[in-house]
Amino acid sequence: MAVFKRGYERYDGPLTGAVTRFLAVPRFVWPRLLAERFVLVLLLVSLFWPLLCAIFIYLSNHANLLPNLNEGGDAIQKLLRIDGRFFATFMNIQSTFAIILAAVAGPGLIAPDLANNALPLYFSRPVSLASYIGARLVVLFGLLSLVTLLPGLFVFGLQASLAGSSWLAGHWTLGQGMLLGFLLYILLLSLVALACSAYVKWRVVAGALVLGFFFVLAGAAQIVNQVFRVEWGSLLSPGYTIYTIWCALLGVETAADAPDAGECLAAVLVLLGALLAVLLRKLRPVEVVS
Amino acid sequence: MTPIIAVDQLRVRLGKREILKGISCRLGASGVGRAIGLLGPNGAGKSTLIQTLLGFHRPAAGTAQILGLDCHRQTLAVKTRIGYMPENDSLIADMTAVAFLRLMGELSGLPAPAALEKAHETLFHVGLGEARYRKVGTYSLGMRQMAKLAQAIIHGPELVILDEPTNGLDPAARQRMLVLIRQMKEQHGMNVLLCSHLLPDVEQVCDEVVILKDGQIVHQCDLAAERQANLRFVQLHVSGSDRRFDAALREVGAEGASEAPGVWRVVLPAGIEVEVLWQLTARENLRITKLAYRRDTLEEIFLKAMGHLPASPRPEVAHGRL
Repeated sequence: MAVFKRGYERYDGPLTGAVTRFLAVPRFVWPRLLAERFVLVLLLVSLFWPLLCAIFIYLSNHANLLPNLNEGGDAIQKLLRIDGRFFATFMNIQSTFAIILAAVAGPGLIAPDLANNALPLYFSRPVSLASYIGARLVVLFGLLSLVTLLPGLFVFGLQASLAGSSWLAGHWTLGQGMLLGFLLYILLLSLVALACSAYVKWRVVAGALVLGFFFVLAGAAQIVNQVFRVEWGSLLSPGYTIYTIWCALLGVETAADAPDAGECLAAVLVLLGALLAVLLRKLRPVEVVS
Repeated sequence: MTPIIAVDQLRVRLGKREILKGISCRLGASGVGRAIGLLGPNGAGKSTLIQTLLGFHRPAAGTAQILGLDCHRQTLAVKTRIGYMPENDSLIADMTAVAFLRLMGELSGLPAPAALEKAHETLFHVGLGEARYRKVGTYSLGMRQMAKLAQAIIHGPELVILDEPTNGLDPAARQRMLVLIRQMKEQHGMNVLLCSHLLPDVEQVCDEVVILKDGQIVHQCDLAAERQANLRFVQLHVSGSDRRFDAALREVGAEGASEAPGVWRVVLPAGIEVEVLWQLTARENLRITKLAYRRDTLEEIFLKAMGHLPASPRPEVAHGRL
């Protein structure tokens, strides 16, 4: 029967579980995000660097095909080596695309709900604050994985398949380090994007705030270091702390007098806590005016 | 029978202010479609009560239950069984109405195919069928109100909480909204908690009324019983000396109160017909200039509860059974 002839009837069928309800938002948001032209272009552009890395890996594993390279001696061999530094560089460059993507996609997840006063609609349903935030984290996790985790695992898998099982046996920690490093980075980036989105109702301003968050804090870290002639100011820079953690996970040496990975991890955890506190404070179904 | 809403010594503080000051009431009965009106002046605590029932505020003391479930401890279970239409503009503007309702349905626990089906069905029901593929942000105020109502009922809740549903509606749209609310309780067996400043709306739709003032319940009545009782409620305008009219009324078992010089409000007990008043006035040399059956309008009940009108003469009033 045509829907307009049927009339309204109360739904009395079975209800879905908490997981299905939790995934309702990602299922709605992902197609909408991927339909945005800018997001699509950014995703495509972000694949260039992994592609270049894949070509580099192919060349490094087929150096014998290029006789001139073998004549270059140790310097060329060192350059072609696939080690922790290679993956740290890969992650560092790829993370820039992730920041831009988070700045574009992140603010659209919460800011419109605040601008349209839609939070009571969510929270009057069986949706808790944790699941509201969690669903948006899943959206960003899926999107940012496309430019970080997936290309990273592809590059690592390519190297492992070309270099053989002996290389994999000796370097599996690189894959593990990249996985953990990217997971931590995605969590940080997602929370930054959501907190900025929750703090500013205007989507464009929230996007600018996400970009500014990393650059302004990096600048502030440099100022602290220069003014007080210290090194711990670098802990203020999320980019620096994350890179130091990555280096530790990938077994790459960093400057001896700079904050070590443990201190950087502590700084990142404090930052994550602060971002979560901002989200919990801003996301309330009703505004209580004191 | 389990009440729809049961509140016991409920106290709610927002900041340092106590908004709800230990209120207690039992409203409605599950399984029976009833509409409950929530009235009160600005700042009486109506919205705070609604928001506490929705689990938005933590009670400082006491309990609030919906359908036997604690609103604070079993909040997710409560929320699967209620629908809420907020007072303010509260929509996802850049979604089509169908997508918006489908999302709301899925968040309420409807499986995806059922949510899509119900989204179409509900939008036709509220009169937005032809505009269902338009973005909600492009809707007029009246259409937005209907979209808000649609999202509140898409999952067929047992209790629908409507906060000022007729705000900003033109007379035709307002009437349509009231018809929909009546259908919700009469045809679909839903219970409705209606919070409104418009007393005629509440009177037209509701079976029970709760009046709040300064965070306390000052009146609670069953409007349906009130309507029946008031069939024998007479307003009388007389000319002449009516000093002994009160005593005359008592002789026949009726009660009366003078509202103004020459204006009497009389309650006739069962078995006493209006003709008795003609006989009494003739005996007392009074001339009736106007006689009208009338009942307390909700406005009168409200004003009395607020202390702006003297109480009716009937003893039931004192017990809160108008």
